[in-house]
Amino acid sequence: MASQLSFAWFAWKNLWRRRLRTLLTLGGIGMAIGAFVGLVGFSRSFEHEWLRMYLSSGTDIAVVQQTFLNTSMEESAGATLKALPAVRQATPMILNLMDLTPEVNALAYGWKADSYEFDSLTLKLGRRFKDGQPEVMLGDLLAGSLKKNAGDTLEIQGSAFTVAGIYHGGSALEAGAVIMPLDQMQKLGSLEGKVTAFHVRLKPAPIGESPEHYLARAQAEIEAALPGLRAVPAAERASNNQIVLLAHAAAWGTSGIALLIGILGIANTMAMSVFERTREIGILRALGWKRWRVLVLIEMEAAVLGLAGGVLGIAVGWLSLRVLAAIPQTASIVSASFPVLLLTEALGIAVLAGVAAGAIPAWRGAHLSPVEALRHD
Amino acid sequence: MTEPIKITPILEVRELRKSYDDGRIEALRGVDLTITAGDFVSISGPSGSGKSTLLQLLGGLDTPTSGEVLFRNGKLTDLDTYRSKSVGFIFQAFHLMPTLRVLENVQVPMLALNPCPRNRAERAEALLTEMGMNHRLRQYPNELSAGERQRVAIARALANEPEILLADEPTGNLDSVNSARIMEILIGIQKARGMTLIVVTHENDIAHSAARQIRIRDGRIEP
Repeated sequence: MASQLSFAWFAWKNLWRRRLRTLLTLGGIGMAIGAFVGLVGFSRSFEHEWLRMYLSSGTDIAVVQQTFLNTSMEESAGATLKALPAVRQATPMILNLMDLTPEVNALAYGWKADSYEFDSLTLKLGRRFKDGQPEVMLGDLLAGSLKKNAGDTLEIQGSAFTVAGIYHGGSALEAGAVIMPLDQMQKLGSLEGKVTAFHVRLKPAPIGESPEHYLARAQAEIEAALPGLRAVPAAERASNNQIVLLAHAAAWGTSGIALLIGILGIANTMAMSVFERTREIGILRALGWKRWRVLVLIEMEAAVLGLAGGVLGIAVGWLSLRVLAAIPQTASIVSASFPVLLLTEALGIAVLAGVAAGAIPAWRGAHLSPVEALRHD
Repeated sequence: MTEPIKITPILEVRELRKSYDDGRIEALRGVDLTITAGDFVSISGPSGSGKSTLLQLLGGLDTPTSGEVLFRNGKLTDLDTYRSKSVGFIFQAFHLMPTLRVLENVQVPMLALNPCPRNRAERAEALLTEMGMNHRLRQYPNELSAGERQRVAIARALANEPEILLADEPTGNLDSVNSARIMEILIGIQKARGMTLIVVTHENDIAHSAARQIRIRDGRIEP
């Protein structure tokens, strides 16, 4: 069957004419999209793991100070919290990031031995630590990185801790973490009597009251009882804490710069392409192609560049996320999952970047006078 | 008594002027012309006489500085549609798309139509067969001889079944054998399809082969 010419095929042939330039441009936009997928994927994965941690432990509300990075509240507030009618369980915790070896850093939690948050963990080896003892429990991911087993000794900031048990956690934030008695963590950080947050499980909502209304009422109850502290729903806490927000901002900022460079690359390619094809555009106009058709053809070429760069970038980003999830330094805060939303966003951004980059060259090409363009050498 | 034969003008130009460079160069200085449907017209004259400018204005490639071009008694308003549906261009330099194969080149004008015909490839193949080019469908323009390129360009000019064929020095880049062959094809098409053929040329043989010969000098039609 004879081959039918279509707009898309015509656009592709125009791109393929200058293979090296097209491939170099693809490399540029691919790296930009790869940076976007890697960085934004990393920050989203971090947020996702945070939420999984709350959900798997059944935490409804986190009680924190206004800011997270500089949080330090009195442990004694726990008694007031536990006495509130809506509160079923309230457990204090400290969260920190520790260098365990020069190569391995990990999230470190200080929990009470009777914390309900142990409910979501599965003990694989050993036992739960005891309050007041220099003991720790290691997530299986971290234990693998450190090559530690139950009964081994782990040195943390100059103090020796016995690995009481190895557990499997529901989220990467737990699987790659070290958990120690709250009092030991307070001692290590000179935080006696202080905690980072209280995690709260609520009693079931009364019949007839919606879960949302009940949650809001419990929040208000807690904040009224503990002035100066905030009661934040777990989902909001996962997405709005300062660490996650900082990670998002850094990811978007860095990938934004990379995307800008990618857009400039496509714009340069398209501007050169339109200039080189001035006479051909004149032929199209002479053959009756309307301005918008010429514009669509050039924009299609730019969009194809963006789309192909996007596919390449997704592969690069996926690979970088796999690497980040595998290396000890970051394995504790990122999972290897690859959400469909991120993939769709990356492809959408790539195509939009292509279309934006092609806009000015396309407009210029579409507005060439046929007679002038045909005279062009 | 027999009725007089009604002659339909397909193109009319009235007091057509075209100047460039802020009026310093006057390419056309008031041209009046009527071309009848189905005519074979040659426009000849020395270099710089304004013959190509006249062809460009007749083909809607450019707009006049003053005066008007009428197509079937109507003013040309939508030049793009006029060029895509009513006119087929043949250029001296062929102007084929280097990235497209012969069969694809002939389909380029069809992409200007809305909607694009579904049987583009079949139509292009039929036209190329008519031009004796069916054995070269998958070649690129740089793989063809000059005569073959011009035959592809003629097939492309016929792609949207226009009423008028405009040829600007169609044999300017060809040897005498190919020139004769191309003119034979053009005249054959004009007769077989009843099309209007307007050829700009500086070659006397070609000019004299037209039923109607127009000579132009210094932007004016010679009486």
